[in-house]
Parts: sequence; structure tokens; C-alpha cells
Amino acid sequence: MKLLTCPVNGTRPLSEFVFGGEYRVAPPADCTDAEWAAYVHNRSGAPGIKNEWWYHAPSGTWFIAERNTLTDKVMRTYLKGQEGSK
Amino acid sequence: MSARLAKQKGEWINRSTAVKFSFEGKEFSGFEGDSITSALWASGEQVIGRSFKYHRPRGILSFANHDVNIMLTDGMDTNIRGDVVPVRNGMALEAVNTDGGVKKDKNRFIDSISPLLPVGFYYKAFHTPRKLFPFWENIIRKAAGLGVVNFNYPRILKRKKHRHCDVLVIGAGASGLSAAYEAGKSGLRVMLVDENLQIGGSLGFDWGGTQEAANLLKDLLAKVESLPNVEVIAAAYAAGYYPDHLIPVVTADGMIKVRANAVIMASGAFEQPPVFRNNDIPGVMLGSAAQRLLHRYSVKPFSNGVVFTANDYGYRVAQDLLEAGIKVAAVVDLRSDAKDGPLAAQLARRGVKTISGSCIYEVQPNAGKTGVKSVTVAEYDEKLNEALTRSKVTIDCDGVAMCAGWAPAANLLYQAGTAMRYDYGVHQFVPNKLPAGIFAAGRVNGVYALEQKVQDGARAASLALRHIGLGTPELSSVSPSNTAQSHEYPVVPHPKGKNFVDFDEDIQVKDFINAAKEGFDNIELMKRFTTVGMGPSQGKHSNMNAIRILARVRGVPVEQIGTTTSRPFFHPTPIGHLGGRGFHPHRLTPLHDMNHKLGAVFTDVGAWKRAAYYQVPGLSLADTVLAEVEAVRTKAGIIDSSSFGKIEVHGPDAALFLERFFTGSYSVQPVGSSRYTMLLDESGVVIDDGLAHRLADDLFYLSSGTSNAAAVYREMQRWQQMWQLDIGLVNVTGSYAAINIAGPLARQVLSGLVNVSLDESAMPAQSICEAEIAGVPVRLIRVVFVSDTTYELHIPTPQAAFVWERVMGAGHALGLKPFGTDAQRLLRLEMGHAMPGIDTDGLTNPYEIGADHALSLDKPDFIGKRSLQIIAKRPLKKILVAFALDAGYAGEMPFECNLVIRDGEIEGRVTSIAYSRTVGRVIGFAYVAPDHSALESRFQIRADSGALVSATVVSSHFIAMQK
Amino acid sequence: MPLRLLKYALSKDYPGTRFFKAHETPKKSYDVVIIGGGGHGLAAAYYLAKEHGITNVAVLEKGYIGGGNTGRNTTIVRSNYLTPEGVKFYDASVKIYEGLSEELDLNLFYSTRGHFTLAHTESAMRTMRWRAEVNKHVGVESYVVGPDEISKACPQLDMSCSGQAPILGALYHAPGSVARHDGVAWGYARGADQLGVEIFQNTEVLGIDVKAGKVVGVNTNKGYIATSKVLSAVAGFTPRICEMVDLDTPIVIHPLQACVTEPMKPWLDTILVSGSLHVYVSQSSRGELVMGSSLDPYEVHSTRSTLDFVEGLTSHMLDMFPFLSNIKVVRQWAGMADMTPDFAPIMGKTPIEGFYLDAGWGTWGFKATPISGKTMAETIARDHAPDLIHSFRLSRFEDYELTGEKGAASVGH
Repeated sequence: MKLLTCPVNGTRPLSEFVFGGEYRVAPPADCTDAEWAAYVHNRSGAPGIKNEWWYHAPSGTWFIAERNTLTDKVMRTYLKGQEGSK
Repeated sequence: MSARLAKQKGEWINRSTAVKFSFEGKEFSGFEGDSITSALWASGEQVIGRSFKYHRPRGILSFANHDVNIMLTDGMDTNIRGDVVPVRNGMALEAVNTDGGVKKDKNRFIDSISPLLPVGFYYKAFHTPRKLFPFWENIIRKAAGLGVVNFNYPRILKRKKHRHCDVLVIGAGASGLSAAYEAGKSGLRVMLVDENLQIGGSLGFDWGGTQEAANLLKDLLAKVESLPNVEVIAAAYAAGYYPDHLIPVVTADGMIKVRANAVIMASGAFEQPPVFRNNDIPGVMLGSAAQRLLHRYSVKPFSNGVVFTANDYGYRVAQDLLEAGIKVAAVVDLRSDAKDGPLAAQLARRGVKTISGSCIYEVQPNAGKTGVKSVTVAEYDEKLNEALTRSKVTIDCDGVAMCAGWAPAANLLYQAGTAMRYDYGVHQFVPNKLPAGIFAAGRVNGVYALEQKVQDGARAASLALRHIGLGTPELSSVSPSNTAQSHEYPVVPHPKGKNFVDFDEDIQVKDFINAAKEGFDNIELMKRFTTVGMGPSQGKHSNMNAIRILARVRGVPVEQIGTTTSRPFFHPTPIGHLGGRGFHPHRLTPLHDMNHKLGAVFTDVGAWKRAAYYQVPGLSLADTVLAEVEAVRTKAGIIDSSSFGKIEVHGPDAALFLERFFTGSYSVQPVGSSRYTMLLDESGVVIDDGLAHRLADDLFYLSSGTSNAAAVYREMQRWQQMWQLDIGLVNVTGSYAAINIAGPLARQVLSGLVNVSLDESAMPAQSICEAEIAGVPVRLIRVVFVSDTTYELHIPTPQAAFVWERVMGAGHALGLKPFGTDAQRLLRLEMGHAMPGIDTDGLTNPYEIGADHALSLDKPDFIGKRSLQIIAKRPLKKILVAFALDAGYAGEMPFECNLVIRDGEIEGRVTSIAYSRTVGRVIGFAYVAPDHSALESRFQIRADSGALVSATVVSSHFIAMQK
Repeated sequence: MPLRLLKYALSKDYPGTRFFKAHETPKKSYDVVIIGGGGHGLAAAYYLAKEHGITNVAVLEKGYIGGGNTGRNTTIVRSNYLTPEGVKFYDASVKIYEGLSEELDLNLFYSTRGHFTLAHTESAMRTMRWRAEVNKHVGVESYVVGPDEISKACPQLDMSCSGQAPILGALYHAPGSVARHDGVAWGYARGADQLGVEIFQNTEVLGIDVKAGKVVGVNTNKGYIATSKVLSAVAGFTPRICEMVDLDTPIVIHPLQACVTEPMKPWLDTILVSGSLHVYVSQSSRGELVMGSSLDPYEVHSTRSTLDFVEGLTSHMLDMFPFLSNIKVVRQWAGMADMTPDFAPIMGKTPIEGFYLDAGWGTWGFKATPISGKTMAETIARDHAPDLIHSFRLSRFEDYELTGEKGAASVGH
């Protein structure tokens, strides 16, 4: 990947983006301490297709990229909350 | 003794302009357009370099930058490739890596002790006894390396250009020109790049005694030139392939970063040397090198040569040699059926004998080893891959042209992820599965015949257009040549060795065999152990033979050996080209010029330049800072805080957003007041702190420190994406300048300028209001960071300088002085404020800095809360305390980061420490064990000398200790 | 010339023998199976055999030995870490390295050149001071030096960095060294092989057989191997191996890139690192400048190269050494760094009985090769991790006891 498509601003060079890590959902607050510690520290590190946070810095846009971390190919990008739209 | 031929069509030299230069102290002359090597070779110089390890004399091998036999220095630059760098008037050249010159290199003795230097010899010795290793290492380091670096070479800023095109064609030979023309006919933007000074590829030199190639070149050039949408760039090499078809094209001027929709690799092939004893003696060169000399520079490679071939190409070379009036003593062909073919017959008609089924067993050098005296030819057993030495014949000659085959210039294809297969028809690796948008044509694709190369280029262009989305007719595929262009094992063993595979690294056949004996029989391991392909030419002339030898040693087919990974760069690429002009972004505050005028010395804080202090002539740095502090404590000081992060949160959910984002509570915060904010990460670590000022029920104005501002704003945006609250976030850091006026006279300084009352009751600590100062609307905030009485003005950026000057004017008579970040740090310390990033580190939790009061744990949730619940159950390991050294302490001054020591072990460390003139004590913050954290506890700091200094835990409001 | 080279000159038959035997098919079972034939795995095998008498050991390597991060790093060895546990651990590694060429009878070109971590900002100077204090406390020779001392050691360095980032000082670390990375893997392989360990190249682990929370075997492309003890020492492939046993870790893979120039005569005698400019550089015994930079900014499980990396690195190299404009970069490459959130390794036992982890080596694995081998061998042999690596246990994350190395990385640049 050398280009990335911001859902708002279109395809831009990667240097304009900041990687925000995998998109994850926190467990409910009443989870066990161990579950919370695992959420905070552990990551699904194995390669595969992941939903990730990316930030287009010049425009201040956070969005989600569906990316294969093995091939570095991006399947699609979308704004959080607009998963359904293609 | 000139080897220059009479003027001929298509030559690259301009005979009307002579070029004078020197080589190793001797004067030479060549022509404009000559490469350094061609000019020297034309003048009869054949020993132009010395080899890396054995210091053997070296001349031309590939003459195409596929080897580094000829590496020179001109006193300014080093590692200059003589083969491809044009000679210039006045150059004073020397070969690199010699001791006493290329002719009399004192290190040439190493060649004779080479048996002492087996493959990987440096792994095998010199390490025992251990104490002698530095001695040997010093010798080895000095012997290694090529040129000497010139420390006075200027920093040259090369330009970078960005270009987009539809089709990028790499290589402007027959197939590349054809591809560019076919792609160009569509009207799309086509770029055609070629590393040579003139385009045409082998059409420009591989003539085989006829005009066919030259005519085809003329035709193709005319076609390409007729298309204005095809841009041709010569002397430009594609340095590497990067994802999404990004290809940096390197020229003398700089780098063009080309992004193409489709890429056609028509990069040709590297001719590979057959391997036989003394195949490196000057005068022994590749057939294509001989042709380049002949047709580009009109220089005779030798005058009486032997062609050693294993393909039909050798016969073309022989024809070109004959056309140039060079005697061809014999053609020696590894193939047993060669002499009966039509090519041999053609040569026979011109009086040249073909010796088939034979090899050059060895070259006899002349007395000085500076050239070829003769060659010994022997029958070659293709099954055993051995010379049958019972039937040797010696042929006198002064040169050898070697034509044993090719290796595809597939470097960029590999980098793009092409799967290659070994084709047993042509005996070379060819693309098997190309990645999307990548196409190959010509020799790199295994296609050699002229007509077919043209067709293959057109075919690739057609596929490229289809990839871009243009419907194009299916073109019939062009199959690889069906005659072997390369010999499957052009290697002649010799008991005395010196049959070189890698000329950069002086690696002989036996080195591979011995490496395999030692277990390095995987191609990657073999590469690392023998260093084959690790020299500057990166295996262009050596990798294929290495693979063939390893396959033979292991008794497996070539494709099972595979290839080593191809990495950028195609040719070694200058740091100046890659680095370009450099880019160091930094931010200046709107008051930068004001600060500068006042003598500010700036320091980097995050991306910002902030005033560290204001230089006063004749005052030391320490005294300058103390004077700035004193002004704040006794009168008033002013500081430019414009770099602070400033964020507006507006909307009905603004308070809720803050409640979730920060640790404190904001829903009931009164309008007009300020509250402390602390940000944690999800693991409960303190990230940042600042203030939240409530300007309206639905409007908070946040200010925070300089370094983290951008990252904190980014995190706010992200959490907002998740929470989807009814708010808006605006980063107004650049919209407002900020200045603080601090000290007992601060109110007096400002009172005449502002349109609001600054009385304690109207404007208490931790309050904010919108006001006007000298007619400019500002946000006026009462803060307590550096002194009890501090007013922070947030001013629209365009009016910042005006307001600063008005405040300075008003404060002049009252002793108002500017102060910088150095004084600020001491002032905040005196006030007892710990600072994230200075008094915390990447693991600090709020409990460790005694910030329990900042945690509203009864809120439903905030970032880090769940982790704090876990952390709270665990015993605290350390805690930040305020401390003071004893009154009147006059011993060694401890510094920040000195350790707190207890019973000889590390208990904690000092995070801030300074002598405060205000307090009259040395004060600071330190981490100590929890049982040392009570007021009046004593602990010990180890100063730099090792001396232990006692400190006492005190209340953090140091200023209250004022004498 | 050393006498030991004479035999090569005098022998009719080349006297070299295989560094390690060419085993093709593994046996049905081993006492210990080590996944990963890099420096760490081979060192663990060597010490298992040498110090614990456990020789029925198979090392399974998917590709060729030393082909992962062992052969891709910039070969720096140092111990100037921030935390006492880090300094002690890496210092123990340095101590082994110093005698390793002799022990393995292979010249690793272990060359102690001194190591300068340049500071261009006040906050970087603070970190240098902090590290120096901790190093000094543990007995490691590191101290803060001023610009003059840096200039003396490297007169070619532009102390203003082309006016962009003036050098205020540095952390000098006397034991800082470089070594031939490949040799370390080969030396341990030979040592282990001689003691009876079996090394299998081109042998890929496809699964790990766990029954009732205990390791009972591994599935490979060369068949099933029964074993009760498995060590994973696979750096960038750790998440894939851990997935096989359903073990979550904090490890995320980021590529780490490097490049080398053409050889030149020696001029750079020390190892230089600049945090602000994201450069580390030393000159190899071949004369090449070996250069690295910071991690790639996002997760990728591949060793692809990027142009951004080499552009950024060379630009900063020119700030430090403006005269290198026309020195050429020959080759760039990458490794897959297994990063942890606190920049310290994950070593020792795991919740799965018999599954041992040697991972999280990020950008600091090469320097730890000997000591990680030694301590992991002990952990496996005794089923108990030695104190030296207690801080690096996997459970520290659940315990919220991350190592303090994270502090150094987050305090200023």
C-alpha cells in the first residue's frame, strides 16, 4: 500500500495518514479484571483482514480501513457508522 | 597505440571536441561522449582497476555497469563507474582500492597467497587469542572498502519530481520502443525511460555484421518521436519497484517519482560470463561489451580475439569484430553441434574457424598479467561439465569475447512480486505470473529475435492498455525463443582455480563448492557465506552462475535452487538523490519576531520553536533565568504561550464529552470557570493535562501543553467517532496566540488595558471571561501555573503582535520582563506543579503522582477508569513527592535523573530539581517508595560523584516555604 | 597470517566440513522442539544441550537458518537500557558475546566500537541522563558526554546537523559493539549440531497439538512430531504460532527497514544513533555504512521495502554527514519486528503447559541472542524461568506490571 483512499477526501499518498491501530470494541465495564487487562494490552496480531483506524491528517478525518495485514491490500474504507454503505 | 576506429555511423562520440584528462598521473585524451573507460581503452590502457580481494588487474567486463572492475576517484568523488560515466576535461582519475597505483598496487601479492584465504576465511581465524583480534580487525577493515570518502564533498540538493503516467515503459530497446509506440498510439500518457545515454538498447550495438538492427532502430525512433504523448527520458534508470506502481527514476539531476497505471518491463538481460581460469584478465570481456566498444565508441576491444560462445549471439559478435577489421582467431563454442550450422559456415567463408564442443580452459596472461597472451582450448564434456585436457590447443590472441548467455534484468519484476519460472528452451528465468498492472517484454521475457522482440513489446502494450480499461484486440502471444540463448552450465573447472564467478567479490568456482561442503548449500546461505552478489553490482553478472553451480553441486534442477531476493536498488543510488532537499517542518508562534527582537534563544518543543530565555548581554544563562524568575516573583513577567493546544468543544453534549474524555467532572462546572483536565489512556497511564474553561453551557475551551496538543486533539476526534455525541470539535491552536502576564504587578499591568474588572472578586483564580484589550477581543483567563496572579490572554492571531506590544508598553514602567520556558519550568516547580512528560513517564498512573483528587471515580465512565480500578487494588510501588534539600545545603548539586537510593538499591529518581532563589532552597520532585512519601520523610539522592545527598519530603506548594 | 588458515592452503582436499548436518526427516518424537532456526532458537538449542544435557532436540526452520531477523538487523550489541532489569539482562548478553567467538570457534567479528546515542533536545538529554544513572548503578559503562567528546570520536559529524538539529550531547556507551549477524546463527547451529541437536531447514510448523492444556506434539510439513515441550522463537511469526495454541499476546508486527551503502575505506569508527533524526549507523568490516531508522508506522506482515523509509533516512544522514551526497545506497531490506507495548521481550512460560515463548524482540533481538538462548534453555530444562527474565514474563500485562522501558520511549525524542 502506498496510496490510501479517505472516504471524504479520496485517494491520497500514505504520508498524509496516521495509523490508529485495530478497531476494537471494549468489553462491558462489568467484565473481569483479566478480561479488561487482555482488552487493554493484547492484540489480534496474526495476519489477516482487519478493520483499522486511519486518520487523514490534513483534513482531520478518522475512518475505518478494511485491510489485509499480510498483503497490505486495502479492501475498502468507510466512515465509522457507515459500514453498510459501499 | 590507438585502438580507435575510423568514424562510423551512430557512434556516440563527437570527434570534433577532444577531452583531456589524466589517469594515475598520466595524460590522456579522448572525445566528448566517451566514457572514462572507452577513452582509456582507446588509448591502449587495459589495466584500469584492481579487484576487491585479490587485487588482480582488471579491465572491461560488461562495460554496462553490471560489474565494478573499473571504479575510480577524481579526487572529489569516489567509486565512479568508469564504464558508464562520461569523461570530462581536466579529470584527474585514479583507480580506487590500490596501494601505490593500479599498475604497481602493493597489495597484488594477495593474489599469490589466495590459497590462505579460503571462502569465509574471516570466520575461520583471527579470533583467538581474543586479545589479538583488534590487531587483525584493523588490518582487515583497512583492506576492505573501495574508495576513500572525501569529507569535503559538498551537500548537493537534488530535485525530486512527481509524475503520473498511464504506461511506464522501462528499457528503450527493440521491445521497449515497440511497447511505447503501441501504447502511445492510444493517446494515453506514456513514459519511456532508459538508463543509457542514448536510447535503442542492443539495437544500437548488436548488429551481427548487418544494418538490420540500425535500420529497425531508426524506424522505431521515428515512430515513437511522432507521438507527442510519449515522453522519452534517456540516462534515467528505474531504481526500484514500490507498491502501487511507484517507480523512482533516477537521472543526473535528481529523482522522478513516477506513479504509473501500468508498467512494462522491457529491461533486457545481463550478459553472463562463462567461468574459466583467468576469465578476468584484461582483454577478456563479454561479447556485448565488445560490441558496445565497437559501435558506441568506435574502439577496438582487442585486435586479435577469440570468441568463446555457447549461443548464436557469439556469431553476431564475431561478425561485428570482423566488420571492424579485428582478427577473429577462432570461435570456440561449448555446443558440440555448432560447427555444422549456418552461422559457423558464414564465418568459415570469412576465414574464421569454429571449434565446437570446446571451451576455453584457461587464459594465459602476458608477463605483467596486464593482458591476454593466448588461450588454451580444450574439448568440453557437457555431461561431466569438465574440460578434457588431453587435447588442448593454444591459440595466440590478445582478447576474448565471451557469449555464454544471459540473465534477465528482472530485478523490478521480482520486487513487484512476479513469480518466475525457469524456461528450459531459452535456459533462463522468465516471468510465470505477473502481478496486476505489470507486464514484461523482450529479453527479460525470454524473447531474443529482433522481429519477436518488436511483437512482444506490442503484445505487452496491448495488455497494459486493457489493464487500464481500454478494450484492445487480443494479440497472439509471443513465445520465448526456442533456441537456447544461454548455456545451462558454462563453467569450466580448473585445478588452479581463478575461474571467477563474481568479479566484484573475487569469488571462484571452488568457493561455492567449498561453501556447500561446509553446509551452505541453500542459495541464500551460500550468498551470505560466499558474499556472491553482495558487491556493488548486486549479482548482475554473478547470481545466475552461482545458481547453476549450486544446482550442480546439489544435483537438483536449477528451478529448485530458486533465486535470492531482489531488493532495491537496481543500481546503487546516491544518498543525495534519495535524501533530496530534506524537510524539517517546524512551527513558529505569531509572536516569533517579537521574541526574536527581544533576544530570545529558541528551543524545540514538539514541532514548535519556543523562547527558552531572553539573552541579556553580560549575564550567564543561569543568572538570566533567575532574573526572569525574579521579575515574575517580585514584579511581572510575560511569556508567549501561543504553542499551547487550544480546542473548542461545542454543542449540547460538550460537558458529557469532557466527562468521558477526562478524569474530572465538568457537567456542573459553572460558566466562566476553569477546571483541571487529566487525560489517561485505556491502560490508566497519564498522557496529558490542561484546563477546561467553560465559556457557555454548550461551549468549553480547552487549553493544554505544547507537545501533545496535536495528538490529544486527534484522540478526541477518534473517541467522538465512537461516541457520536452531539458536539463539534475545533482545533483553534493556530487561530489564537496566547500570552501570560504573571506576577504581583500583573493586574496593574493589565488593568488599564482591559475593559473588565480584574478585582479578585470579579476575576478569581480559575476563571475565564471574554474581554477586550486595547479594543481587541480576547479570552482572559486567570491561571495559577507559574504564580498566584497570572492572566492568560488568548488573542486572535492577527492581532497578537499588537496586543503584545501594548502590554509590553503598559508594563514597561512596572518592570515587566519577558520570560522563557527555562524560567517557566522553575516557576511552575516553585508553585508545585508536576508536568506530564517531565515528572511522569510512559507508565505513570495518577496514583503515582498523587493525583487522586483529579479522578471522579463516581462518574459512569471515562477513558482509563476500568484500568484504574484494577491498578487501585495493587500496591503502589512508587510515588512522586515534593522535596527540598536542607536549608543552606552547599554540597554537590544533584541533577534531574539522579537516582534515589535506599540500601544500595534503586528506590526512585529525581524528575525535577532546581535551586529556587525565591524559596532559598534546592527543591524538586522525585519518585520514592510509598513508605518514604509522608511529609518530613528523609531519603537519599545519589549525585553524579556517587555522594549521597539527603532530601526531605515537603509540601508541594514550595512557594509557601518562602523565607 | 594466522596458522589456522594454513591447512586450507596445504590440504589437497578442502578441510571444511558441514556446520550442521543436512537432516531431512524428523524423528517421531523429541524431548524439546524449537520452532525457529534463527539466532535465538539455535542458541536455546545449544545451551539446552551444553548446559542441561538435553540433546534430543529438534530445531524446525521454515526457511534457512538465520534467514529471519537474525540476518536482517544492523548487528548492534549494547546494554544501555533504561530499567535495571533491562540493563542487567542485556549486560549478561554482552558478556557472553565478548567470549562467543572463542566459545563457538567462529570469528563473529565482535567489534567493540563504542556507541553514541545523540541528543538534540533537552528532553532527550534528560533521558540520556536517566539511562546513564541506571547503567552506572548496574555497573555498565555509560555516561553523558558533551559535543566535544562526540566530535573527538567522530570528527566528520556535523554537530549542528546542517543547522536542523544541533547536537547537545550524547549517551556514550563504551561496550557498544557490532558483530557478524549470520555468523552468530551459524556458530550456534554448529555448536548445537555437534552436541546432537537436529536442525531441519525447510520445515514448517503447521499446528501445535495441545491436549488438556498441555503440549503433546507439533504438526509439520514433514509429519507429526510428538513432544511435551515446544519453544516458539520466531520473532515476526510469533502471532501465527501463538494463534495455533490460541494464546493472546500484545505482539503486533511492524516492518523494520535498513539499508547499506557501497563499501568505502573505514572512517566511521563508532556506532551512532540519533533518536530525533531517526538514524542509526555504523560502518561494517566490509566498509559499508549499515543504516537503520525507526519502525514502519503501521502493521504489515511482510518484508517489503518502502521508498519513504530510504528517503527519510538518507535525508537525515545528510544532515549528519553532508559529504555523503554522492555515496550510493546499494540495497535496502526489511525485517518483521514483533513489537510489545513496553518495548521489552516476552519470555518464559505460558498458560499452556510445555509451550514456552521467546518473543517480543521488536528491534532489540540480535543483541539478546546469547542470553535469551541461555535463559530460555534454563526455563525449558527446569520448567521455571530464572530471575533474570522474571520482568519479561507474559503475565506482566495482566498484572499491569509493564517494564519501564516504555518510559524511555515516551519521554521526549
